[in-house]
Amino acid sequence: MKFLVNPSKFNKVADYVFIPVLISSIILFSIGLIFAFYLSPDDYQQGSTVRIMYVHVPSAWLALLTYAIMTLYSIAGLAFKIPFGFIINTAVAPIGAVFTLICIISGSLWGKPMWGTWWVWDARLTSVAILFIIYLTIIFMNLSFENRIVREKVVAIFILVGSVNLPIVKFSVDWWNTLHQPATISKLSKPNIDPSMMTPLIIMTFAFIMIGIAIAILRIKTEIISRKSYLS
Amino acid sequence: MILVKDLSIERSNKKIFENVNLSLGSGKIILLKGKNGSGKTTLLKALLNLIEPSSGAIYWKGKLLKKNLYNFFNHVTYIADRTSSLSKLSVKENIKIWKKIFLSNISNSQVENILKTLKLDIYLDQKVNSLSFGETKKLEFLRLIIENKKIWILDEPLSNLDDESIDVIAQTFEDHRSKEGSIIFSSHQESEINVSEEVLL
Amino acid sequence: MIILNKIISFYYREYKLNLSGFQDILTNIIFFFVSIFIFIFSIGPDKETISSIGIGIVWTLLLLSSTLSLRKFYQDDFENGNLLIMHLNGFSFGFIAILKTFSHFIFVQIPFLLSIPIACILLNIANDKLIYLFSSFIIGSFILSCLGSISSSMNLMNQRNFLIGSVIVMIFSVPIIIFSVGIANLEENFNSLISVLFGILLIVFAINPWASGLCLKLSLENN
Repeated sequence: MKFLVNPSKFNKVADYVFIPVLISSIILFSIGLIFAFYLSPDDYQQGSTVRIMYVHVPSAWLALLTYAIMTLYSIAGLAFKIPFGFIINTAVAPIGAVFTLICIISGSLWGKPMWGTWWVWDARLTSVAILFIIYLTIIFMNLSFENRIVREKVVAIFILVGSVNLPIVKFSVDWWNTLHQPATISKLSKPNIDPSMMTPLIIMTFAFIMIGIAIAILRIKTEIISRKSYLS
Repeated sequence: MILVKDLSIERSNKKIFENVNLSLGSGKIILLKGKNGSGKTTLLKALLNLIEPSSGAIYWKGKLLKKNLYNFFNHVTYIADRTSSLSKLSVKENIKIWKKIFLSNISNSQVENILKTLKLDIYLDQKVNSLSFGETKKLEFLRLIIENKKIWILDEPLSNLDDESIDVIAQTFEDHRSKEGSIIFSSHQESEINVSEEVLL
Repeated sequence: MIILNKIISFYYREYKLNLSGFQDILTNIIFFFVSIFIFIFSIGPDKETISSIGIGIVWTLLLLSSTLSLRKFYQDDFENGNLLIMHLNGFSFGFIAILKTFSHFIFVQIPFLLSIPIACILLNIANDKLIYLFSSFIIGSFILSCLGSISSSMNLMNQRNFLIGSVIVMIFSVPIIIFSVGIANLEENFNSLISVLFGILLIVFAINPWASGLCLKLSLENN
């Protein structure tokens, strides 16, 4: 597992893994989209719009997951002085921002036919919007500091402080009465979703994970290279 | 009292200096010489524990500096190459604030004498931002007397000063040396200050 | 005893500094009132609407005008080296952050407290709500001071884009605004909401010395 903290080992592993990950993400996307559009049934209430779920839910999960990864790597970078953590932070932030944006856009496309409005000020939606702004702030902070050492540490501190938003996003549907429905799928209880809808959702989630990893590998490798040229 | 052993400092993988050895005992004046960018300020900042050395160590009274930091700070005055006086306030108010901050019991007549020798007494009621740069710099040296500490760490104290003021400062250094104090300062220009050791970076 | 004397002289210095720059604080307050006028002009002078959204307006503008003075929080002391002098004088960076936060609260936020009653008259807010507004403002503005300390210490080395400091404060002030406005609008929930607000205060107050202290140390190291 050393490749998770060491740039040169990461480069080696990434070279092996990149092509398979890319191919598998393409395959998973095609299977998942076929499932989502043709093989899964319409919802008895929502009709065909339920298919937005296959994009909305995975992107929401990944938006949160990306931030959680950045939080862990910030702790690693600040507390254990692992510089690779800062590389990950810089590389991964735009990916998380894009996932959050996909989640927000698909969610409001879903909300228009179901709730009758593009946007409501409910706790889940607001906290995800704040998550998006936090991602943007991280990206802008990465662009606006001249001194690299200060920049990466300050951004890591900001990520740690901003991570208070994560539990708020996650539990907002349980803590407050919101228009947004509570989570259907959880680890502890049997999911109350039909298997015919569960399968494409899982496949699409893995497809999103794979494409996320592929882009992340590319971005991390560029980041490592740019730092080497900076150092020498 | 301060012992610097094999100190090397890297910043973003670039070596700034390597294997510097220093020992600053009482009654000693050390001059750091070197070109711009040779790491004079960096070394002085490392002495204040602001910069982590990549190898080597700094000791204060036989203990690691890091472990004994606030004890060390009780004995040290640092003057950076920028002036710390508050520009919106008058010279008098600045002196009053310094006296309060450093809990100094220096008498007013003593301060007036020093101001006279530095030729600052005519500006006493003027705001600091109406003074010239050299004059604010001279005002900054008043802190050395007000703080009344044993070790002086000075970054480029002689730049922007005329010969007359440099003579005054040389005299102050001599007085401090005779009182068992010790001084470490950096400079890139030649001066007539009588130093006991020169370190070339 | 020495440390107590040092703290007192620290506040003496802050007092002198803020007194010499008192027109800055006054400008902040004038900004606050001018924005209230503009708000009223833009929504029309209907008494019912104004008094129903008045508390929200007061809170938004308080937040905006307190972010105006953020740049001064550490920047001056950082640039002329006084932060380092305070550190050499025996204060750790986290402790400097705490002292500075209190100083910002006393010298920048408290003057706003005096201007709130006038704003209430202008915005037709009922007198019995004033006490709720006051109590939420005292806690909320202290949270804003802590957040301001964190964000301005983060941006000490940021020469290009200081506005991001205000954005950071505004992001984290969302819960404060929600609960503070809630306090003033729902009197029966007063105790529970003020406890939540107080909880947020304690969390932010605990994070503040750690985050600000680390950022101050970083900026001084790399300056």
